[in-house]
Amino acid sequence: MSQATVPVLLPEAFGAGTTDADRQAAAKLREEWNAHDQSVRAQSFWKETGKRFLRNRTGVAAAGIVLLLALAATFAPLLTPYDPLLGQPLDRLQNIGAPGHPLGTDEQGRDMLARVLYGGRLSLVAGFVPTVAAALIGTVIGVTAAMLRGVVQTVLMRFMDVLYAFPAILLAIAVGAALGPGLTNTIIAVTIVYIPPIARVAEAATRRVVVQEFIEAATLSGASRFRIARTQVVPNVLNDIIVYASGLVGVAMIIAASLSFLGLGSPPPAPEWGYMLNSLRGTLSTTPLVTIIPGFFIFLTSVAFNLASDALREAMDSRL
Amino acid sequence: MIRLVLRRVGLAIPILVGVSVIVFLLMTVVPGSPEAGLVPEDATPEERAAIRDSLGLDDPLPLRYLAWVGNALQGDLGYSEQRRREVADLLGQAWGNTFVLALVSAVFGIALGLLLGYLAGTRRGKAVDRLVSVLSLGGLSVPSFFLAIILLAVFAGGLQLLPSGGADFDDPLSAARSLVLPVLSGSLITMAITARVTRAGIVDVLGADFVETLRAKGLSELEVRRHVLRNAISPVLTTSGVQIGALLGGSVLVETIFRWPGMGLLLYNAISARDLVVVQGATLVIALTFVVVNLLVDLLQAAIDPRVRGTMS
Amino acid sequence: MTDTLPGPTPVDVPAPGTATLPKRPLMELLDVSKTFSVRNGGRRATLSAVDGVSLKIWPGRTLGIVGESGCGKSTLARLITGLHPATSGEMVFEDKQILANRRRPREVVEQMQMVFQDPSSALNPRATIGESIAFPLEVRRRPREEIRARVSQVISDVGLPASYARHYPHQLSGGQRQRVNIARALALQPRLVVLDEAVSALDKSIQAQVLNLLTDLQSEYGLTYVFISHDLNVVEYISDDVAVMHLGQVAERGPARRLYDQPLHPYTRLLLSSIPSLDPALSTRDQPLDRSNGEIPSPIDPPSGCRFRTRCPFAMDVCAERTPPPVLAEPDHVVACHLYTADENGVVPRGVTESVARRVAEGSEVDAAAVPEEPLPDPAP
Repeated sequence: MSQATVPVLLPEAFGAGTTDADRQAAAKLREEWNAHDQSVRAQSFWKETGKRFLRNRTGVAAAGIVLLLALAATFAPLLTPYDPLLGQPLDRLQNIGAPGHPLGTDEQGRDMLARVLYGGRLSLVAGFVPTVAAALIGTVIGVTAAMLRGVVQTVLMRFMDVLYAFPAILLAIAVGAALGPGLTNTIIAVTIVYIPPIARVAEAATRRVVVQEFIEAATLSGASRFRIARTQVVPNVLNDIIVYASGLVGVAMIIAASLSFLGLGSPPPAPEWGYMLNSLRGTLSTTPLVTIIPGFFIFLTSVAFNLASDALREAMDSRL
Repeated sequence: MIRLVLRRVGLAIPILVGVSVIVFLLMTVVPGSPEAGLVPEDATPEERAAIRDSLGLDDPLPLRYLAWVGNALQGDLGYSEQRRREVADLLGQAWGNTFVLALVSAVFGIALGLLLGYLAGTRRGKAVDRLVSVLSLGGLSVPSFFLAIILLAVFAGGLQLLPSGGADFDDPLSAARSLVLPVLSGSLITMAITARVTRAGIVDVLGADFVETLRAKGLSELEVRRHVLRNAISPVLTTSGVQIGALLGGSVLVETIFRWPGMGLLLYNAISARDLVVVQGATLVIALTFVVVNLLVDLLQAAIDPRVRGTMS
Repeated sequence: MTDTLPGPTPVDVPAPGTATLPKRPLMELLDVSKTFSVRNGGRRATLSAVDGVSLKIWPGRTLGIVGESGCGKSTLARLITGLHPATSGEMVFEDKQILANRRRPREVVEQMQMVFQDPSSALNPRATIGESIAFPLEVRRRPREEIRARVSQVISDVGLPASYARHYPHQLSGGQRQRVNIARALALQPRLVVLDEAVSALDKSIQAQVLNLLTDLQSEYGLTYVFISHDLNVVEYISDDVAVMHLGQVAERGPARRLYDQPLHPYTRLLLSSIPSLDPALSTRDQPLDRSNGEIPSPIDPPSGCRFRTRCPFAMDVCAERTPPPVLAEPDHVVACHLYTADENGVVPRGVTESVARRVAEGSEVDAAAVPEEPLPDPAP
């Protein structure tokens, strides 16, 4: 069942031959093949990748967890009656399993389940949005640099080198500190951190693609460089970028959580997981299990993203 | 080799300049006026202008950058009004502490990662391999500050084995004990990445033709392993520069939690207090340290691996 | 339905081999050169890939270009099609002049296509066969219906089932992919098709099929081919005219039959003698030219004068001093070798050519002093 699909090798000798009889036989063969070929699947790279991914049970489970978390965060109001920002002082520091509060309450008596669910919105957004934004911008930069070459390439890539010369978290913290706290600024900071590595991946992939003969063929057809980039280059570098970027989502979430841990994320009392973990540090001795809940969710989401990314890499790693 | 060193140093200089420009711009173009903390609330516009003028805030940006870099090159990174100290003084003390923490973490994480990666790579598919892959996945996915909190709860809170934070540098034993938890929480990710890279490298090399040749030549398995490890170590070195960078950057979180008096804690406190001069100085020094470390790693790699030497010159 | 397809009406050209040549070449290259600047051991250097090449490409015929790898054949292909701008020299396509480093007129670009060497890299792996063939038509903004009709037309023309349009390159074999490459080149109905090692990557049996296809298409579409290959047998099979390239220069050119029967240039002779033979009586092992130094000099620092002299058993002093000019040795047969240079008019009396050619063929050492009745030109000061 899980055997890899073998590409169908199609018959070689259509239209061979020099005599009229040979050619007519070949034409007949083509007709027959036309009929037969209706049953042969066209093997698009993306469809095949999707199929291989779906055969990987770990990958599917991981993607399922991510999806589940995303759904739970989106429909948080349906899953919990509590307001994540409003606490009941009388219910402070309830432990896990307390009646009405399955995940307990925090130091202000706010329901942890509600805070985790609503906080998932912020964390998932902080993981996805910067990665996607950086993938778009980085691809444009990398493809442009490798296709235009010369001064443009030097300027763009040296600038990327400079940004890359900062430790990732430090750059995010510095940008965050400069822009001030807030989810938008966190997203901008993580995006800036991710643009250089993605641009490098895109540039390297583009350099591999542009020397191939189909790019020369496209040039000969008179297509503009922009058109060649759009139709010939980008579809062929996209898989490298997607594999690389998918591995960054989990880290993006951790960086965002770190910024919020340091007070540079969404300003309190927003239920961001990193900030929750920091503000609960004081309750470690009284309700240790409740304290580690936000950390556990960061960990869980990050593991799921990393596993899904590994599965995606394996699914794309084919000779297609 | 000397030409190679000169070439690599030459390549690092524009990076250093670029890094300084970005640090300068980040802290200069921030929203809000930089003199806000220095000017009394009720100052007249004239007084305000005089202070701006004395700080050179109305000069064109390139001039201000040159002035700032000029001072920085002479060891003057500005004066923190809030801490009432020279920024360079504050950083000088903190740099050594961070360096010790990062170095011990790097050595510990890389050594452990190498060991685990080697075990996993040579026993592919066995239980050890699976255990290591779970460990490294966990290491990649757990935020260092979360791990730090758990370690604190267990070792400092529950078991009372180790200090929860701070450091007494007059007593080497106490300082070493204070180092244990920060190193553990900071170096887990280093260990995870190193283990992954080592394992991939070992698996790669074990499949190479030359290993068969070595066996065919009658080398003992131990000697073969030595060759394998030597050939698999280059990619580990390549990533180790980045690893140390991650440790330097991650120090902000780890030092904050364990109150380790390094640059990270300094940076955290400065950010909380919006003490931009210190933020600027600390960011610059950490980034410069990272560039230099990467340069050293590059050179070390060139010294060890002739293939790298070829591609770099 | 039969295989007779409503292709374009064949252009009225004389069949290859007939005596009357059309008066004007389809394309002409005049003293075309191309240099690349490269890094050689960290130092900047100039690589002379194509040097002073002059060629005529006759309509409806096939010009074969043959030479060892690295002799500049592929660069020449890209100069002809305009993928690389020439460093110097001039090209004329019909009546339109193409200047080096000047943008080509659209009418010229549209008339030329190329078939590439590597069937696996010549097709976009993320596009279906149909999309790849349609691309040049889309660039020209042809109506969608016309594109669809044209795509299935050319796919059938190259002998593939039309249903292949929806498949991806990796689903096809090498020979089939090369057919698709040919189909793509034909989509725009070009006049000139440059085939750069178009069959080299294929198995022998598949090569024969593709070569037959090419000859069929040539008469069907009235195509002119420039066929580039290192394979002398293939070039002989398909070409009407042949040019032999060595280190970026044309050593010899002429009608295929004559060039293969009576090679004039020592290099051509070397190439032909290296064709393996199954007949031990015809063994080429002991041929004198095999004694020549097999090392091909680098195009970064080519030998002065004649670039072949370091490998040539007949090398003379003059060979190091000046580049041999192309000499019209026979009607349509041009050779660039000092053995054949004669007077200022560049004409060598028939007798000399034959006697030298015979000596080259027999492999006897040519004593420079004994060669021509006409004295060799004085070495340039």
